[in-house]
Amino acid sequence: MYRLFGIETEYGITLENAEQIDPVKESIELIKHYQCDHKFLPQWDYDGEDPFKDERGFRAKHLNNHPDEIEEEEKDKERFAEQPGRSFREIKSDRILINGARLYNDHAHPEYSTPECQNLFDLVAHDKAGERILQECAERRSEELGQRVLLYKNNTDFYGHSYGCHDNYLMAREVPFDYLKSSILPFFVTRQIFAGAGKIGIETEAGLATPGHFQLTQRADFFHVEASVDTMHKRPIVNTRDEPHADPAKYRRLHGIVGDANMSEYATALKVGTTALVIELIEQRLIPKSFAIANPIDTIKIISHDQTYRWMIQKVDGKMMSAIDHQREYLALAQKHLAHLSDETDWVLTEWEETLNALEDDPMRLTDRLDWVAKKWLLETFVESEGIEWDDLWLQSIDLEYHNINLEDGLFYGLQMQRIISDEQVHTAMHTPPLDTRAYFRGKSLNKFEDSIRTVQWDSITFDIEGKAVTVNMNSLANPEIAQKYNEALDLSPNPQALVEKLGLN
Amino acid sequence: MKDQIVYYPERKQKPAKPFEPDDGGDDNNAPKRPDVNRPDTQELLKRMRRVDKDQSRRYRQRTGE
Repeated sequence: MYRLFGIETEYGITLENAEQIDPVKESIELIKHYQCDHKFLPQWDYDGEDPFKDERGFRAKHLNNHPDEIEEEEKDKERFAEQPGRSFREIKSDRILINGARLYNDHAHPEYSTPECQNLFDLVAHDKAGERILQECAERRSEELGQRVLLYKNNTDFYGHSYGCHDNYLMAREVPFDYLKSSILPFFVTRQIFAGAGKIGIETEAGLATPGHFQLTQRADFFHVEASVDTMHKRPIVNTRDEPHADPAKYRRLHGIVGDANMSEYATALKVGTTALVIELIEQRLIPKSFAIANPIDTIKIISHDQTYRWMIQKVDGKMMSAIDHQREYLALAQKHLAHLSDETDWVLTEWEETLNALEDDPMRLTDRLDWVAKKWLLETFVESEGIEWDDLWLQSIDLEYHNINLEDGLFYGLQMQRIISDEQVHTAMHTPPLDTRAYFRGKSLNKFEDSIRTVQWDSITFDIEGKAVTVNMNSLANPEIAQKYNEALDLSPNPQALVEKLGLN
Repeated sequence: MKDQIVYYPERKQKPAKPFEPDDGGDDNNAPKRPDVNRPDTQELLKRMRRVDKDQSRRYRQRTGE
């Protein structure tokens, strides 16, 4: 789609039948099992990261945190005091994988960040590859532990603790942030009608508020602000973290934190594909002010909770319309201005339209494509079969198990969902980076020259060449032509010395 | 993974061709939309009945991003 994008997913982790676990310890142990020999090379370079830096041109003084987490962090200090020598790097356990991805412990969750892709179906394959890689880690760890490690690609524990699945898009810095915010925010509010992963129960940060109420999304209950730099508490619909991981003079990274983790390949492709097209429209300044929604914070929850599936919203001009028609406004612009740019673009446009039509006609037509519809069908079938009430906590467990990434046990994997990629593509993505982005340079450098790599960041690699640190700055590799040049140089280089010579870096 | 044979295919600048369930060999670089599948209800019910009723009660996580 001629744009770099990627997905970062924090997984839920627990042990079978365990009443309590230490998720930090289990996440670290899980990631150690990426390799059979548990070898861990701390190669991630944290110097370039600054989650306080705000797109609006300032640096935040502090980041909000969930009250429970403030308590947990105090306990962490005691836990880590009992394990002297556990360094920050060991806690993070950051690994760079040969497919260009990043696998690490993000606070208390194993996180898989896909390599940067510019092909939608590559991205879906890499998202699924993340599931398979983590499941392999879980199986190794389970064997060592004598207890099964369970991993969930979801976004809540039903006790008010949410964790994220972020979709990221590189875009032009020249787009004024205010315009970006006012154009993408309404889209994010109504995107959930096809991108939501479904949830039984309504939560607040204090815990489960209304059991038994089926809603479209895992995450809508946790969004309270239109725009801010926060990600852990008082979450914003538009996150303003300014970390482009590319040339900051040319690029922004839209860090989309409002979405759910999707199990469905189709839903993942539609979520990212439609968002990428809307960003294209935003870059061309084609989104009118009239797309804005009157009260986005309430509306995102109202849509998610709506049992009628009419999803009525109020626009800023007072006009009422359905979320389906609101999405159609974005779709019509995309059809007018972006049709036939590529087969992939046309796939997104066709499926976007078909999905909106099906949602209007009968959402259950999408049982084999959208997560929230598949989950609703599953729950309805179970309620009917077992004669239980909708507030029975068994349904909450059914909801959770929908997201279990174990192919044998996970309920999603018992469904006959439509595939848009093959198992072979997923398997290839476990070991191979996308061939047409800078992720190839990262992944293949690691594959060819691991012993000579000192540190890695999204946009740089530092090699150790005869005791001297030589950094390849990958800032400019967001440009596909430059990425191609670098990737070709890497293919032709027998060692790092030859590579930096070919790139003219020494 | 390191314990498996790792190979890189020849690098191509064109994206890999997406999966085409009904591939008739044309040039379309996007997946087809197959017919709507209906899940096998009996097998699914068996899988769902195996789910531990208490699993979500025990499932406690820490807040993430």
